Amino acid sequence: MGQQPPDFTLVTAAGESRRLSEFRGSPLLLVFHPPGWDPARQAHVDAYNRLIAHLPGVAAARLVSVGGDGPWRSLAFGDDDVSIPVLDGEASAARAFGVEGEAAVFVIDADGLVRWRHVGDPLDDVTLGRSISAAIAPVSARGQWSRREFVATVLGAAITLTLEPKFARAERAAAVMTSTARDVTLNVNGRDVALTLEPRVTLLDALREYAALTGTKKGCDHGQCGACTVHVDGRRTLSCLTLAMMQQGKRITTIEGLAEGDELHPMQQAFITHDGFQCGYCTSGQIMSATAMLAEPWGPNDDDVREAMSGNICRCGAYVGIVAAIQDVRQRRASQ
Amino acid sequence: MIDFEYVTAADLDSAVRAGSTTAARFVAGGTTLIDLMKLDVERPARVVDLNPLVRRDASLASVSDLPNGGLRLGGLAHMSDVAWDTRVRERYPLVSQSLLLAASGQVRNMATMGGNVLQRTRCVYFRDTASACNKRAPGSGCSGIRGFNRQHAILGTSEHCIATHPSDFAVALAALDATVRVRGVHGDRTLPFSTLHVLPGAHPERETVLAPGDVITGFDLPAISFARRSMYLKVRDRASFAFALAAAAVALDVQNGTVRDARVALGGIATKPWRSREAEHALIGKPASAATFRAAANAALAGAKPHKDNAFKVELAKRTLVRALTEVSA
Repeated sequence: MGQQPPDFTLVTAAGESRRLSEFRGSPLLLVFHPPGWDPARQAHVDAYNRLIAHLPGVAAARLVSVGGDGPWRSLAFGDDDVSIPVLDGEASAARAFGVEGEAAVFVIDADGLVRWRHVGDPLDDVTLGRSISAAIAPVSARGQWSRREFVATVLGAAITLTLEPKFARAERAAAVMTSTARDVTLNVNGRDVALTLEPRVTLLDALREYAALTGTKKGCDHGQCGACTVHVDGRRTLSCLTLAMMQQGKRITTIEGLAEGDELHPMQQAFITHDGFQCGYCTSGQIMSATAMLAEPWGPNDDDVREAMSGNICRCGAYVGIVAAIQDVRQRRASQ
Repeated sequence: MIDFEYVTAADLDSAVRAGSTTAARFVAGGTTLIDLMKLDVERPARVVDLNPLVRRDASLASVSDLPNGGLRLGGLAHMSDVAWDTRVRERYPLVSQSLLLAASGQVRNMATMGGNVLQRTRCVYFRDTASACNKRAPGSGCSGIRGFNRQHAILGTSEHCIATHPSDFAVALAALDATVRVRGVHGDRTLPFSTLHVLPGAHPERETVLAPGDVITGFDLPAISFARRSMYLKVRDRASFAFALAAAAVALDVQNGTVRDARVALGGIATKPWRSREAEHALIGKPASAATFRAAANAALAGAKPHKDNAFKVELAKRTLVRALTEVSA
């Protein structure tokens, strides 16, 4: 263990060549299945769900079915579909790893070293889950996987040779890209994120679909609900009504960038303390709007808060808790 | 949203050139354009981003004093920055109020002065590509005239269009008759705000006198001392974040109980920002009284042509104007 794996070239579904070594920096799973293996078989779907049960932080996801044929497979999760590339015919890669004709799993960490391997016998869900978990954990901030990291990574593993989530998304985007797509660098939560985007991609879609930051929510997608609120250079902004290309060179902050490590932003804590949400869908937008609004010259009264927050709609009607949370933060700041 | 060419320009003249085709649109805040592009109402082949111009010329996005005591609002200044500007709040309360009563905190951080007055109508038939709309698809008819027209205009309409101009800020500018500063393919020019928007007539697709490539670089607010006694009163279906059913922008110069000068414009009820010189004539020289204000309101709405669902707007607009005049003269 801890060895460098053989390097080899992958020809992706979009016809693009990439070397395995190019993916260093992100944890990676290589899964080899014997010829004739069909990911859509119910036995395999059941196996994925057993695997899921052993993984931390992904309890909400349950795979219903695997559809499609050819280079793209559609994973149905009841409330969400995700496509990932399936790369067939990589016998040469299997040969390089010494597992031709056999089932095998390799877990490669962010440094490009093999951390775990399993060849031959049917996979032990518990063992596989633990090992994947240990290798992939650094992907997300607190050692828990986001839903999307889980979907694209773990299930990718269960299907066939596949790569980490950013790769899956990049391939999906490549399939529909036109000549207008260009390289864009967005500064999100203090880090530069390099993306290739068409001009029509909104900041919201760039964050969610390309940068894997799904804390920012898509509600109405027309600027009327506030669920997509982020900060641009410290000011609250509707990410659905601006193009990602227009935000180059700006400092973008999303809900993922609000906490200081494991310590919640005071507004996040106040929303919990004052029960400022029910279903939670509008909450990231509410919190982003609330934190920025306190820096604007509004008056101190509840009515001022209601007016200032009128661009954030809560279908559950958690407004009483939201106002209380904001006033709590304001008063704590004033007394400091 | 259909794909398009995204263009940034090194300077204003390059932007003007890039935008000087009918297939191009300028984007600043994006709050109207991106919304309408998602609805397929706008389908530009090219989008020219004006925002980078601010790095070269900060005055495009700022508020600055004019030598005569007026203020210049940069065409790319954001609604929130102008609304909270101390000079605007003190000298032109109606401008600050018109901005703060519009949209939401997020939208105000994005939307700009120039884009605000050029925003498109909220007529539901304009926004729905399955409906007939002479403004969106010239010659296709008007679904609003016989449709659900509660939100629609009662002043300035034609048999081809009854869509309301949605801007609040533009109503304040109409009351002040601000000067519009424009850079176009033939250089700079200025025009009175009252001449910027045109009535729908037989061509509702044409909303302003601007030509392709024209960029609004700013608005000059004239030095009107009594604008310090002004207000923008907005009546809507909910307390916040809604377009006006009726609105009044008023400024009054009252001395010894007599109205010496007046500015009146109405919003939410007309096809363009509606300066009411009729109301001003009914006010000037008269005592600042309830009777005068009611007479001014009657004069302002004398030409109103309500439709099936919006007859209520006639009386609502009158009462809105009377209340604004009453409050500002109190």
